[in-house]
Amino acid sequence: MYRFFLAGRYTLARPVSYLAMVSIGLSVMALIVVLSIMNGFLRETENIIRGSTADIVVFPLQRDGPSSRAALEGLVLGTEGVAGVTSRLVRPAIFKVHAHNNPLLWNSMDASRSQVLVQGLDITAELAASQLSASLAGVRRASFQVEDPDDPFYIAEADIRDPRLRNADNPGLLMGETSMEVWRLQRGDAIDLVTLPDGIDLDGEAILPTVMTFIVAGAFNSGHSNDDGIVYIDGSVARVWAGTEHELSELYVTATADWQPVERLGQLRDTLGVKFTDVGERCLVDTWEDRHGTWLAAVKNERRILLVILGFFLVLVCTISFSVLTMLVQEKVRDIGILSAMGITARGIGSIFAMVGVTISLVGGLVGLGSGVWLATHINDVKDWIEAQFNVQIFDRNVYAFSEIPIDLDMTANLYITVATVLGAVTICMIPAWRAARLDPVEALRHE
Amino acid sequence: MSETAILSANGLTRHYRMGGKPVPVLEGASLDLMAGEKVAIMGRSGAGKSTLLHLLGLLDRPDAGSLKIRGQETTTLSRRARARLRNDEVGFVFQFYHLIPELTALDNALLPAMIAHGPLAWLGVKRERKERARGLFVELGLDDRAGHRPAQLSGGERQRVAIARALCSTPGLLLCDEPTGNLDEHTSDAITELLFELTDKYAQTLVMVTHDRELASKADRLLTLHDGGLVDEGAQAPAPRAQELSA
Repeated sequence: MYRFFLAGRYTLARPVSYLAMVSIGLSVMALIVVLSIMNGFLRETENIIRGSTADIVVFPLQRDGPSSRAALEGLVLGTEGVAGVTSRLVRPAIFKVHAHNNPLLWNSMDASRSQVLVQGLDITAELAASQLSASLAGVRRASFQVEDPDDPFYIAEADIRDPRLRNADNPGLLMGETSMEVWRLQRGDAIDLVTLPDGIDLDGEAILPTVMTFIVAGAFNSGHSNDDGIVYIDGSVARVWAGTEHELSELYVTATADWQPVERLGQLRDTLGVKFTDVGERCLVDTWEDRHGTWLAAVKNERRILLVILGFFLVLVCTISFSVLTMLVQEKVRDIGILSAMGITARGIGSIFAMVGVTISLVGGLVGLGSGVWLATHINDVKDWIEAQFNVQIFDRNVYAFSEIPIDLDMTANLYITVATVLGAVTICMIPAWRAARLDPVEALRHE
Repeated sequence: MSETAILSANGLTRHYRMGGKPVPVLEGASLDLMAGEKVAIMGRSGAGKSTLLHLLGLLDRPDAGSLKIRGQETTTLSRRARARLRNDEVGFVFQFYHLIPELTALDNALLPAMIAHGPLAWLGVKRERKERARGLFVELGLDDRAGHRPAQLSGGERQRVAIARALCSTPGLLLCDEPTGNLDEHTSDAITELLFELTDKYAQTLVMVTHDRELASKADRLLTLHDGGLVDEGAQAPAPRAQELSA
């Protein structure tokens, strides 16, 4: 009983105990918040990647002639784990604002921006099987949003800004939201897409590019920076524009919910690969992670490095706990003599100081866990408050393509962090407690 | 005073090492203390009075000799067993009070009783021990000081709290190391009176190390430490105490 009583009094009576608790709490809180943000960042990045691409992408090599879209899609749809499939016809193009000079002649920056990947979509299949609907809904600026999400390439005649193009029956296109901002475009503006037709032979004869004028029907925003280099047009228009017999460049495969985990997607990828080989189709089959694995690995690595660096907080916590308890033992040498005179055993003395260390560590750890979880949960409220109070920008949504700081609380990891911190602090506190237990009571009583 | 020996020391020897050389402090000191006896120990500075007190209180172990408390040999006991015996049988009063500053006066007095009991047992005896401590506080004139911290008390009050702490668990033996050495004359007299009165009342053996010859003269017996040994100056007619004078 006296152990709890004295340990409690020693802890509560000393401001430095509270300081140590706060230090431990802050360290645990920082670790939890950083881990939550990095987890959130990783999760959002994965979501963006998955939103901008399919679960599995199939690239038919088509070296022996065009592949049959219907045959390939049928093959994929008959596979267990496939929820849907859509095809895209993809062509590189130069993008140019209609009736303006060729941007390639202006400067290198505009030249690089004007190179885009045009993707011809089967809009019905896309809306059913891909994340296109979400990308259309993700557009922040209302004036950029498409008029009809079920028919996103539609634009009313009255909305076409150049009167000369009204009633000209130009097809619609969709651009990344940021691209529209950069080029200062609005819905109804006219765009020329320039590409090379299929079947040309680069042996010195004159090459005639194919050009078609499109009307900007609206924007999309998947949150991924790749949006800037992509333009969507209708698939049937794409074949005409590109002058190609090919029906598709890529197959976008959506897996059912139970096949979404990375390992199962890998199995599905392998199954599809075998199926294509069996029917004589040479295809590259990649999961979304295969295509973006390097980038995700970089994010994971960044999280690991940050946690290792913040792991030094644990060393700091242990140092603080050790210092506080060592100071307490030094200060209480005479008390140790008195307590011995009253009949407390050496083990009893040691356990009093050990309990002080445990109390400081445990309270600090729990305070850190609580405040860390709270702060991680309310990080955006706190960010907004700081930004409003101090007129500073902490989080630039344009840099990260997130509307707010992403958070993903992993309570298991948070508990591990807390337990590891508390255990570290408690363990190191055993050293001064052990020293206290070993003090000679007579020497302690004589201590000045 | 009962004729039962509560403590019996025989040939106590204690050397310290200074600069690698043994320095003899006690060389065969012997004494017997009867239950309820009041003994004063005098000696010049450095004669080993405090060392003797630490040995008698089981805080230190002699290099040679025998020390029995209520007939039990203590020199061969483990550190833990000696701590237990110390808690049961010995109370200390120090010159500089040595109260725990974080505790109230009452909690300081209750601490030895708390140490003697486990958490559950303490809950069982807590009320009774608190009542006893409060009774002692009344006897010591501290009834309105129970909730004060040591820093809020005067020197005399602190020493009275220390006496309450030493007596609260009713140990058989009270060891006082210069109990009035840090107090003014008036307070010193009052404290001395209280010590004798209360140890009489509870039939406790009192051993007092002091430089104060007047204080020593109030004891039943005077011992002096000389050349590491105890010289029994014999029984003395106790000086009249304040109560007797006033009567």
